[in-house]
Amino acid sequence: MAHDHFRDRIPGTPRFKEKDKKKPLGTEPFFPNFLLKEWIVGSLFLVAFVLWIIFNPVHLTDPADPNPSGFIPMPDWYFLFLYQLLKYFPGDMVWMGTVVVPGVASTLLIIAPWLDNSKARHPFKRPVATTAMTLAVLLCIWLTYEAEVQHEDALAHAPKPVDKSEMPVDTALVDEGDAGAAVFKQSCAGCHGADLKGGMGPYLLGVGNKYDAAQLAEVITKGFPAGGMPPGGGITDQAKIKEVADWLAKQKQQ
Amino acid sequence: MLKKTYDWIDERLGVTPIWRDIADHDVPAHVNPANKMSAFVYCFGGLTFLIIVTQILSGMFLAMYYVPDIVNAYRSVQYITDEVLLGNIVRGMHFWGASLVIIMMFLHMLRVFFTGSYKAPRELNWVVGVLIFFVVIGFGFTGYLLPWDQKAYWATAVGAQIAETVPFVGPYIKTLLIGGDILGALTLTRFFAIHVFFLPAALLGLLGLHFIMIRKQGIAGPL
Repeated sequence: MAHDHFRDRIPGTPRFKEKDKKKPLGTEPFFPNFLLKEWIVGSLFLVAFVLWIIFNPVHLTDPADPNPSGFIPMPDWYFLFLYQLLKYFPGDMVWMGTVVVPGVASTLLIIAPWLDNSKARHPFKRPVATTAMTLAVLLCIWLTYEAEVQHEDALAHAPKPVDKSEMPVDTALVDEGDAGAAVFKQSCAGCHGADLKGGMGPYLLGVGNKYDAAQLAEVITKGFPAGGMPPGGGITDQAKIKEVADWLAKQKQQ
Repeated sequence: MLKKTYDWIDERLGVTPIWRDIADHDVPAHVNPANKMSAFVYCFGGLTFLIIVTQILSGMFLAMYYVPDIVNAYRSVQYITDEVLLGNIVRGMHFWGASLVIIMMFLHMLRVFFTGSYKAPRELNWVVGVLIFFVVIGFGFTGYLLPWDQKAYWATAVGAQIAETVPFVGPYIKTLLIGGDILGALTLTRFFAIHVFFLPAALLGLLGLHFIMIRKQGIAGPL
């Protein structure tokens, strides 16, 4: 059976019988001629890609920590334009940025062939489509750029990790049963550490060596807005601020 | 010998018509960079596919070591990067390839758009192409979480919050995405499953359609 049966069903004329057929200038067979050229382009591309990989190693940040830690999140670069778009629809209008604008844009993209349905194909012969796409691309580039700039700005203003090299070695806490210690644990430990060793905020071990209770109370009341500490450090009750300040003033190191 | 082997297989499976269908056609001059340098813009689609192939291969090798649970995910990625032979290259390829796919796909889409190649009779192929675009974006979103580092975790947390703002169905979308109320162990396995099973299946199907349609409809003529 069958050898010839299959041959009969081969679509088209075999290449070797087509030699004398007239073809448009420059046309060439996909296999193997054109594919070979594609492979050459592909190989060069791959070599460049691998060189890039070798010289740009990927780094992990710290392991994921679900506790809010002041880490400023940033989506991958190709989501930045969407991310930035949301910033222009704050509060109750955010659904405009999450649903309406991306939804309309995606729909327009999908149905583009039916919107731009003239026979003309040259970009200059269909000015509406060409202009619309050019503007859309420019908008995406601008949004991405803005997102990047604003992220850099946020990073520059974020509280710096505290240099702990100067931290006193003797780390015993004084008078842990104090009422101020309880307030500290509730309101301050998140940033300054339950053991006063610091975290997002600076360490406070031995803070009593530098300031007395009155000075500490003033610092707490004013806060450090530039450094991320709100006035009062999140404590609204003056009496509680005084308790914490008194307790911190006791934290002296030899 | 080779010819005999080929004939033997061909006789039983009818390979010749299949490969003639796939590979035996003429490529017009205007898409050939060997004729005109500016025709390199027609390479973007092929290069996108090439990078997708490297993504599939590097992803398969990463899957040999990667562990999708919150205790080991970070450490397994660290292990791949620091210990496995050429692991840093494979991971680098998967990491940078993700961006490269997006770039090449975007350029390919712009080329198709500005040459008006989506016009009749190729509308459906454009639609499939846009769907591929969305699937690839999905790969980016789900793949970003898998190393389970701070960047991954918090970027995904923001993504989930954004999904939650969708009117009416937002909270349901968020639950569907992260697999519960909080971003945690379920989120990681869920994103992993989407990244290595659901999306690849969708992508391969759509790519198949994309290529079949290119063969059926041919390449659009010169501008």
